[in-house]
Amino acid sequence: MTAVTTSPAEAPAFLRSLRPRGLVWTLLCLHRAALLFWVLLVAVAGGALLWAYGPGERGLWIEYRTMRCASPDENLSCDFTGDAYLAYDMATSLGSLIITVVPFLVAVWAAGALIARELETGTAELAWTQSVTPTRWLAAKLALPAAVVASGTALLTLLHRLMWPSNNELRRWLSWAWYSDTAFRGNGTVAVAYALLGLAVGVLVGLLVRRSLPALGISLLCLGAVHFVLGVLRPYLWPPVTLTNRAEYSSLSGMPVDEGALTSTGAHVPDPCNGSPACLKQHDIVGFYTEYHPSSHFWPLQLVETGIVLALTALAVLVSFRLLNRRAGAAV
Amino acid sequence: MTDTAMEAAALGRRFGRDGDWALWDCTFRLPAGRVCAIVGPNGAGKSTLLAHAAGLLRPTEGTVTVLGTTPAEARERLAYVAQDKPLYPQLSIAETLRMGRELNPGRWDQGVAERIVADGDLDPHARVRTLSGGQRTRVALALALGKRPELLLLDEPMADLDPLARHQLMGVLMADAAENGTTVVMSSHVIAELEDACDHLLLIGGGHVRLAGPLDDLLAAHVLVTGQDGDLDPHTVVESRTTGRQLTALIRPNGPIDEAWQTAEPSLEELVLAHLRSPEAPVLTLTGEDEADAFEADEQEADAEEADAEEADAEEADAEETTV
Amino acid sequence: MVEYRIDRRSGVATYVQIVQQTKQALRLGLLEPGDKLPTAREVVEATAINPNTVLKAYRELEREGLVEARRGLGTFVRKSLGTTPVDSPLRAELDTWAGRAREAGLEREDVAALFTSVLDEHFKNDHDKHDEGDEE
Repeated sequence: MTAVTTSPAEAPAFLRSLRPRGLVWTLLCLHRAALLFWVLLVAVAGGALLWAYGPGERGLWIEYRTMRCASPDENLSCDFTGDAYLAYDMATSLGSLIITVVPFLVAVWAAGALIARELETGTAELAWTQSVTPTRWLAAKLALPAAVVASGTALLTLLHRLMWPSNNELRRWLSWAWYSDTAFRGNGTVAVAYALLGLAVGVLVGLLVRRSLPALGISLLCLGAVHFVLGVLRPYLWPPVTLTNRAEYSSLSGMPVDEGALTSTGAHVPDPCNGSPACLKQHDIVGFYTEYHPSSHFWPLQLVETGIVLALTALAVLVSFRLLNRRAGAAV
Repeated sequence: MTDTAMEAAALGRRFGRDGDWALWDCTFRLPAGRVCAIVGPNGAGKSTLLAHAAGLLRPTEGTVTVLGTTPAEARERLAYVAQDKPLYPQLSIAETLRMGRELNPGRWDQGVAERIVADGDLDPHARVRTLSGGQRTRVALALALGKRPELLLLDEPMADLDPLARHQLMGVLMADAAENGTTVVMSSHVIAELEDACDHLLLIGGGHVRLAGPLDDLLAAHVLVTGQDGDLDPHTVVESRTTGRQLTALIRPNGPIDEAWQTAEPSLEELVLAHLRSPEAPVLTLTGEDEADAFEADEQEADAEEADAEEADAEEADAEETTV
Repeated sequence: MVEYRIDRRSGVATYVQIVQQTKQALRLGLLEPGDKLPTAREVVEATAINPNTVLKAYRELEREGLVEARRGLGTFVRKSLGTTPVDSPLRAELDTWAGRAREAGLEREDVAALFTSVLDEHFKNDHDKHDEGDEE
C-alpha cells in the first residue's frame, strides 16, 4: 500500500527499482516466447476452470434438474450427455489435463531450451565469460523459472479446488472421486511440487546430456518414471484405515488400498476362496478386511507425496550444481 | 612493464582419462599490454589454451594465471570470444548489447560497443540469427570490447571476415589496445594477418609451446643462412635443407657466424614454418624481462645510425635495396 | 595531417616505414612545425598495426629532435626538414636531368640505377649504417 501512496515524483524511481536487471533481465529476454506461452497456457486452463466454476456448474445443475436426474426414482433419461454436461466436462478435463501435463512441459523446456541448447551452442560459455559465475547462472536458471512455474501452477491448483463441486449430489453424479489421479493432482500441493521436479529433472538431464534433443527425451522419460512410480505407491504413503467384517467385504467410500481375508489368528491373507463357506472354513478364514483411505487422508497423503517430490527436486538440484562444477571447468 | 597478463606453469590438459594430451608442459609468461599471437596448425591446442585462460577448462596438471589471479577471479576483467562466436540467435543486436550491459554491471561501455556495430552498418534491430558469419564476429567483438576488458582472449577472431572487415576490426582492436592498454591474445593459423598487429608470439605445435617471447627478440634470435654445404656448429640448427650444393638453414646463432655464410633475418612466416616443419627443434622461450633492455639497446643503435638523418634523402631507396 | 601507408611486402620494418613517411611529409612540407601527428590510436585504427610500433617510431622521431611529445596533448612537429621543398631549385635541376636521361633513351630502371650509384658514392657512410638499421 505504501507504494500506492508515495508521491508521483518517487513513483518512477520505485518502478525503476522493479525493472528486471542482470541475469533476470537476460533470462526474461531470452525466454520471452516460453514465458508468453506459459502465460497463455495458465490463462486458458484458468479460464476453463473459472468458467466451469461459474456458468458451467450452474448450467450443469439446471440441466441435471430438468433431466430429473435428482428424482429419487431412477430416471433412465439421465445419462448425462446434455450440452451443459459436455461443455462442463470439456472445461474441467482441459483444466485438469493442463495441470497434469505442466511438469512434463517444464521438464522438456528446461532440458532443451534452458540448458542443453546453451551448452550445445556455446552460449553458456558466453554467459560465463561475462561477469557472471556459472553458479549464479545456474541459480538464476533454476530460481526464476521455479518462481514463475510454481506461482502459475499454484494459481491453477487454487482454481481447480474452487471448481471442485461443493455440491455433493452433483459430484456423485459426475462420479468424481477425490482420490482419482487428476483430482488428487489438481486439488493439492503435489501439482506445484511436480512442476518444480520437472524443472529440476530437466536442468539435471540437460547438464548431463548436453544435447537438446536427447536431453528433451530423456528428461521426459525420467519424469514419467517418477510420476508412474509415485502414482503406484501413493496408497501406501500413509497408514490406511482398516475395516473388518465377519461376513463380507465392507463397503467403503475412499481410496481403496488392499483387501483380503482374515484368519482366526488375525493374520491378513489373500482371499483363497470365492465365498464358498467350506473353502473358508478349510482355510481358517473368519472374516474379511478392507484397507482404504477416507477423504480425511487427503492432506496427509498430499503432504507426504509433496515432501517426497520436493526431496527428489532438491536432490536433482544438488547434483546439478555438482555437475556444473565439473562441466564449467575452473570458472565456478 | 612487469605486470603479467597471462602465465602458464607446466600447464597440461588431457581430455578423458586415457585420452591424448591436448596440451602438455606449457610454460610461458605474457607481460601486460602486449598483443600476442598464438600461432600453430589446426588442432595444435590453441583453443584449449585460450579456454583455460578464460577459465572454461580446468587444467589436468599445472596452473594458468591471468591478470595475477585465477581465471575465475579475473572473470570481470577478461573477455573471451570463442572460435564459433556463440551468441543468442533469438536476440537482436541491440538486445545482445543490452545483455552485455546487464551482465557486466559497472564495466560496460555502451558507446564502444555501439560504435563497433555501427561501423559495420548493422541494423541494431536485426536478429542475430539473420547475420552472416562476419557480422556475427563483429557483434561478438562489440560484446567483448564493450566489457572494457584488461585481457582480451580471441580464438580465431578473423576467420569469417572479408579482407576489409578484417583490416577494420583489427584496427579497432589495436585502437583499443593503444587507448586502454588492453592485452590482446589472439589465435590464428593465418600468420599474415597477425604479422603487423602482434608484438608477442606463442607458437604451439602438438600441444606444446615451441616458441614464446617478444616477436622482435624471437626474430633477432634466429638467422637464415645460405651457403655451400658445410658445418653449422656451434649454432643450433632449427631446420636445414640442401639443394644441390647449396644449404639453406634457419639457425639460432651461438657466437659469430662464419663469413662464408650469407645471412638474413627471417620473416615471421619463415620462422613459424621452419619450426612447424621441424618438430624436433628445441623449444625457445624468451622472457619479457630482458626485452626492455634489448629495446633500449635497439633504440640507441637506431639513434646513432640516424644521427645525420636530415641528409638521408635516399633512405627509402636504400631500404628497398637492402632488404631484397 | 599525415596518413601512413604500411606496405607489408616492402621488407622494411613497419616502424621504419612510419619514420620514413613522416620525414617525407616533413621534406615535402606536408607537415610543418606545430602540426600534430596523428595519435597512436588513430594510426593503429587506420592501419591495424601494433600500437607499440607507432610509439617506437614516434620515439625515434623524438630522439632525432623532429617532433616532441606534449603530455596529454599529442605529438607535435618541432622542426621541418624543408631542405627540398617541392619547388626547390635542386628539384628543378633533377627534373631537367631526368628529362635529358629520357631523351637519351634510358629506361626507367637505368635511370634509377644511375641515380642510386651516384647517391651511393656521395652518401657512402650513411648507406652502410642504414643497411644495418633497416635489416632489423
